Amino acid sequence: MLQQLTNLSDKELISRARKLKDQEAEGVLLERYSHLLVAISMPHLNTGPGTTPEEMYPSILQRLSNSLKTQTIPKANEWLHYTVKAQNDKADRNIPFFPSNESRDVQQVENKVEKASNNLLEQQQLANQIQQVFKQLDTEERFFLQQFYIEQKTFAELAAAKKYPVEKVRLKLREAKQKMASLMMTQTDGK
Amino acid sequence: MANNSVNNDKILKVFSNIRCLNRDQLPRYLDGRLTDVEKHLVEQHLVDCDLCNEALHILEQSQYRDKYQSLSISIQQYIRNSIKQVSHVQKAERYQRKEQKKESLLIYFWVVAAIALAAGGIYLVQQESRFKAQAPKPLASTGDLKAIPASSTQSIAAKQDTVKVVPVVPPPPPPPVVVKEKVVIPVAKKDSLKVKDTLKVKTAPVTKPVVKTDTAVKKTPAAVKPPEDKKDDSDTKKTPVPKDNPPIKKEEPKTVAKDKDDDDKKPVTKVTAPAETTSTDEFLYKAAMVYHQQGDLNEAISRYKHLAASNSRYGELARYQLAVCYRSKGQTGKARRMFKEVVDMNGSMKDKAQAALDNL
Repeated sequence: MLQQLTNLSDKELISRARKLKDQEAEGVLLERYSHLLVAISMPHLNTGPGTTPEEMYPSILQRLSNSLKTQTIPKANEWLHYTVKAQNDKADRNIPFFPSNESRDVQQVENKVEKASNNLLEQQQLANQIQQVFKQLDTEERFFLQQFYIEQKTFAELAAAKKYPVEKVRLKLREAKQKMASLMMTQTDGK
Repeated sequence: MANNSVNNDKILKVFSNIRCLNRDQLPRYLDGRLTDVEKHLVEQHLVDCDLCNEALHILEQSQYRDKYQSLSISIQQYIRNSIKQVSHVQKAERYQRKEQKKESLLIYFWVVAAIALAAGGIYLVQQESRFKAQAPKPLASTGDLKAIPASSTQSIAAKQDTVKVVPVVPPPPPPPVVVKEKVVIPVAKKDSLKVKDTLKVKTAPVTKPVVKTDTAVKKTPAAVKPPEDKKDDSDTKKTPVPKDNPPIKKEEPKTVAKDKDDDDKKPVTKVTAPAETTSTDEFLYKAAMVYHQQGDLNEAISRYKHLAASNSRYGELARYQLAVCYRSKGQTGKARRMFKEVVDMNGSMKDKAQAALDNL
């Protein structure tokens, strides 16, 4: 059963955990991200009362479990990052997670691409659409996207080429991608 | 064309959805032990994923890197243990739920089946009792209608009343007797006259009832044919009475006639006491006759048996009827014995009983 659940996507696991109240699915999902959860919460360990690993991780897992039952989760990694950060920052107000508009646009375009993976015509149409949007971007953004996705350069290579820090390269790429997704969605909505 | 499709794939790669780094990839990326393709895929994912990016940044620091492995394994173990417990409990709960559902379904089934059976049983009993209640009515009513068409409904009611009342209260009240006797058979009518006489004796002077009885006796031949016209009488009563009955009806008028003679001879005041006993016997006899006519031979036999012990003329009649009942039931031995008793009694039914014996 566990083996079967580990092959499921995040979306399917969340759906099972919520609709069927399948705690095994919930456990598999949390286990999938547990190493990342441990990593991002490490700086907050042993910084005050209730921050020992034996106390902090169970409480984080419990919070995630409760949140999973009530929240809409389009992307598990974003939801997890937001929730763990809120727990580590000890935010008094439990503000629920809402994905940003850019994130939604990116996800919608990603879904489109995934859907068109079995249809060559759709793939062609989508590629044309992306190329048209690509032309509307800044030269720097176009440079980064082209070098990273088509020339398959690494962050380090791009950073070295532009003499930017690696994080800035990542953020430039992210902005460019989000801009493209937003433009595509506005075009689609305009139609 | 091929070049175009490759470009398309690369462009579409911008929006390909890639999973987060797994627990194996994370340290390998930090150590630079990933292949170029794998590294590029990880970096494609890192463009969007703040979670993985932050984890990588934190783990780049050696202080956290040392603790990471042990903590990561322990939290994984913690989650697995909780899942195991939960899954075991869930399985047990599911099994229990299934069993409970099965049991409850079975219980519902049996409850419904029991209710259906009970309802069916009640329905059948009701139908049976209705059938029993309805079956005798048409027989009685048709008999009465043919005998005396004028007052059919009242007679049915009166008959039913007498049938029901007689076994419980042996001495019947005079008024119902009068009502009934007006309606039923000629024998009864003649007897009713006697009852009337006794009633009137209590209120009126002695001479008047004597005159009245005379008039009543005179009237009876007109209303109901005299004992001499036995054959005509029996013809009129063919339908309500079974074939065995005619001899009784033929005899009854005789006895009544004798009684009338006695009444005429004796003073009226002396007649009242024996008249009461005869009236009860008569009443019982009629009740038995009703059962007999309805075809309920067992009930009729039991009633005739009660009467057979009586020393009055109804004792003889009851024995004769008993014999008839036995005969119609096919118990010829008993019937023969009864007819013999009637013959031995040497009463008014002797000839008829002898004739019946000869026929047996």
